[in-house]
Amino acid sequence: MGVIGYGLGVIGAGIGIGLAAYGATTSMARQPEVQGRLFTVFILGSAFVEALALIGFVVTLIA
Amino acid sequence: MDALSKLPDAMDELLDGFMTHAIVGDTTVGLTQYIFWMFVAIALLFVVMFVFKKKQAQSLVPQGFFVNGMEYLVEFTRDDMCKSILGDTWKKHFPFIAALFFFILFNNIVGIIPGCHPGTGTIGVTAALALVSFVYFIAVGIKRMGVLGYLKSFAPKGLPLPMAIMVWVIELFSTFLRLITLAVRLFCNMFAGHVVMGTFAILASLFFEPLLQSFSVAALGGAAVSVFWVLILIVIYLVEILVAVIQAYVFTLLSAVYIQLVEEDE
Repeated sequence: MGVIGYGLGVIGAGIGIGLAAYGATTSMARQPEVQGRLFTVFILGSAFVEALALIGFVVTLIA
Repeated sequence: MDALSKLPDAMDELLDGFMTHAIVGDTTVGLTQYIFWMFVAIALLFVVMFVFKKKQAQSLVPQGFFVNGMEYLVEFTRDDMCKSILGDTWKKHFPFIAALFFFILFNNIVGIIPGCHPGTGTIGVTAALALVSFVYFIAVGIKRMGVLGYLKSFAPKGLPLPMAIMVWVIELFSTFLRLITLAVRLFCNMFAGHVVMGTFAILASLFFEPLLQSFSVAALGGAAVSVFWVLILIVIYLVEILVAVIQAYVFTLLSAVYIQLVEEDE
């Protein structure tokens, strides 16, 4: 049961990372000169989103 | 599949290995395996830093892969985390930020080596790190604005009073939330990554086992599947190396951002 819950939780994180990658790629295509700065922001944003999914994963295993 | 039915038991064993066990004493007073590996990482950090300083002093121009690599890493910390975020005040906070980054980085890298545990893989260590960062930026804020001034700075100026009180409470809450998110993010990333790697390693060995006991077509099929698990394991291992660096980077960057928030002029 917990595993199913974790799978449901990951849907949100998947959408979040997808949106972040979408935004990063479109803005990189428009302004290639800010690539370096954008990549940092993208990595930061994905780390935030990923942490949520991982909290679900760890709670599934521990609880 | 027969091998899959053994997985839950093996998983329990794996998770048990990831719980904190005391090597010396017990878990309240003593040395757990995570703290042991943390000391290993600190020792490694000291050795690397002393060797780096000694080699750097030998010649004016950095020579060789090691010295150049370390200089690049230090410069990356200085330019990317300190100068770009903290602006003119970077010099004051650079030692703290660099210490935080290198400590977490070395812990994560030591944890990646098979057979080792990351010092940051337990909530105790990450909570302590988050607490250090939390106390640091509050201390900086109080030093700059005074206790009352710092408390006032939660609410932006120019708001009507009822609104300001509401914003103040929310900001206070979110400040304490930083402590939890910093600790939990690092812990979950390191813990979950190692559990996933362990699971694929167990899957590979479970599927390969029948071939060692008796030779048959079914056992050969299992071994073929286990090659596939090993391939996934290698990919996840590479991702984990990336995660180890990124998480050290994210933790340090966020600490720098929090310091910048109290350092900035209104």
